[in-house]
Amino acid sequence: MTECRVGRGEGAVGSRPVTRRSLIRSGLAALAAAPWARPLAAATGPARHSGRRAPPTQEGEIVLGVSAAFSGPSRGLGTELYRGSMAWFNHVNDNGGVNGRRIVLKLTDDGYQPDPCVANTIQLMQDESVFLLFGYVGTPTVTRVLPLLKRFREEQVYLFFPFTGAEPQREPPYGEFAFNLRASYRQETAGLVDNFVRIGRRRVAVFYQNDAYGRSGWAGVREALAAHGETIAGEATYMRGTQFEASMRAQVEILQAQSPDAVICIGAYAACAAFARDAADLGLHIPVANVSFVGSENLLALMREGRADPDSHTRFLVNSQVVPSYEDTSLPAVREYHELMERYDPLPPENVERITRGEAYERFPQSFVSLEGFLNAKLITEIIGRMGDEPDRSRLEEAVFAVRNYDIGVGERVSFGPDRRQGLDSVYYTVPEGDRFVPLADWEARFAIP
Amino acid sequence: MRVHKLFRKLRFGIFALFALVVLSIFLLSIRTVSSELETEYVSNSANIARNIADASVDILLNRNLATLQSLIDQFVEIESIRYIYIVSDTGEFLAHTFVPGIPEEILASDPSLTEPVERSLPGLGEFVEVGSPILSGVAGTVHVGMDTEALALKIQRAVGQQIYLLCIILVVGVLVSIWLVKSTAKPLEELLTYVVELARNGGEASDNGVLARKDEIGDMARLMRHAAGQGPPPPKWRARVRGPG
Repeated sequence: MTECRVGRGEGAVGSRPVTRRSLIRSGLAALAAAPWARPLAAATGPARHSGRRAPPTQEGEIVLGVSAAFSGPSRGLGTELYRGSMAWFNHVNDNGGVNGRRIVLKLTDDGYQPDPCVANTIQLMQDESVFLLFGYVGTPTVTRVLPLLKRFREEQVYLFFPFTGAEPQREPPYGEFAFNLRASYRQETAGLVDNFVRIGRRRVAVFYQNDAYGRSGWAGVREALAAHGETIAGEATYMRGTQFEASMRAQVEILQAQSPDAVICIGAYAACAAFARDAADLGLHIPVANVSFVGSENLLALMREGRADPDSHTRFLVNSQVVPSYEDTSLPAVREYHELMERYDPLPPENVERITRGEAYERFPQSFVSLEGFLNAKLITEIIGRMGDEPDRSRLEEAVFAVRNYDIGVGERVSFGPDRRQGLDSVYYTVPEGDRFVPLADWEARFAIP
Repeated sequence: MRVHKLFRKLRFGIFALFALVVLSIFLLSIRTVSSELETEYVSNSANIARNIADASVDILLNRNLATLQSLIDQFVEIESIRYIYIVSDTGEFLAHTFVPGIPEEILASDPSLTEPVERSLPGLGEFVEVGSPILSGVAGTVHVGMDTEALALKIQRAVGQQIYLLCIILVVGVLVSIWLVKSTAKPLEELLTYVVELARNGGEASDNGVLARKDEIGDMARLMRHAAGQGPPPPKWRARVRGPG
């Protein structure tokens, strides 16, 4: 477990066990310091780097528990989501924290596997007594954690902004224990299907990870196609954890036999990149769509690596996103994101190198995933800030519901309420252009059937 | 002079008896273990299918297929359960664990079938599949496939352990019987040596230790010596040697 004391220019600075006593001591110190604390509004404004570090002796802190993929084939997702969050938290802490309290992330690695995620969550809730759970990655992991939140409901530990668009944390019986910022997979897949059908590509097949995540996307595609009077044209699966080097020939051949007009992939970047590569190699020249979870930059990096003509493998890709393009600097949040990512350039968690057996992780200057992490961090800071000087779990839900028409800076306002546990609904579509994904302007021009 | 040949039949008999016992237990074990394990596996699979079916009702009615998939993913981690799939009442596959796709044989089968069936899936292996209806079948059916190769392996392992134990008992038993035979044969050899010497020397023979023995060998040596006119019979045989007169 890594504890990240968030400060300017540092991704993680050492590890220190948090005990009840230390939390109480921190709380008392924060109470004492509260009258002199900088107001949140000053810390959450547009990036105005003051050039001074937060006082190192400041004791008050709010601990957020994180279990995410920092190792394995999906480590890019956990790492980039974390880096985006850290860019914002560094900024907040450098400006005095939230009502005088620094935000500290307690990191655990689950490698995108359900069982470690459950164990991590129990540890975070019971041993570490975190204030809330934040920035989890993945559907198979989150769906297994939700019953835990219900089991310990009297402790009111909520899960905030997991990096998954699956339905279980949006619907009964577990929806009341989680808050989401991003649009759902149902919305993403519906958008993809609608656009494919609109340009005459009605036979849509699905390539998916054979777990709760894949099934969630599969169900979204199925439902969207049903609205157009269609059914899934074909389906093929892969095992979670499949590497880019694996062959997807069998999957491509299964789908090829059904002559689809388009394929929607519900997977992680390594497997989806492998599928897109093999599809291109085997002559399946149809649009291959991915949902936001894929991690577009990681996908593209894999597919372009070492290729003389990388565009030949990527020209059929179209990815849906749940945050706007990080190149759209007309949006205030994107400008902030650029500035803070550049200023802090957060490092991956310090133990990632060890976890991945010394394999270096190449950071992306910007990515959709880190932008999402950035927005998650920005919103959770706002929510905690609304709780005043004495944040209390029992008032957390109330503080979330008080978020109404909040301008997070992406052109869409965020609202929560008892019947609304998802902040944003927008879905964006992007296509590769060189080594980046850019907004797709015209579906017809790019993907119409010849 | 050796008398071991007197015990060859005995040793062979002991060995044959042990072998018969081992073989009988081996055959009985195979039959019992395989039948019990097979019954237990089918029964467990049926229970798993029933549990999934019971747990699926609300999930299916809520159209929460991600949770349904998560549920079956947990069950498929159980040893020897190789696949699980859930089919709606209309025959649509709602969740499954197949990679890279649903096998043709399963796509072509009757989705409402709940009786145990044997399946041979190309590239996957041999399976026994059991089903359980969800909400009496109106919401669909759960199917659980068990790997028969894994079952066979388990049977082999269980029987093998028993055979291993029996073989150890057999070896120990034979060794013990050999030791017993040897321990009996040695005084007999000494007696024979004594008697031969007695016969050769006209009733004179050096005591090689058999006369001091308190058992039947000692009695026999003393009787032989008495017969050769060299000493009294052993006390407990004295009356019988002298006769009723």
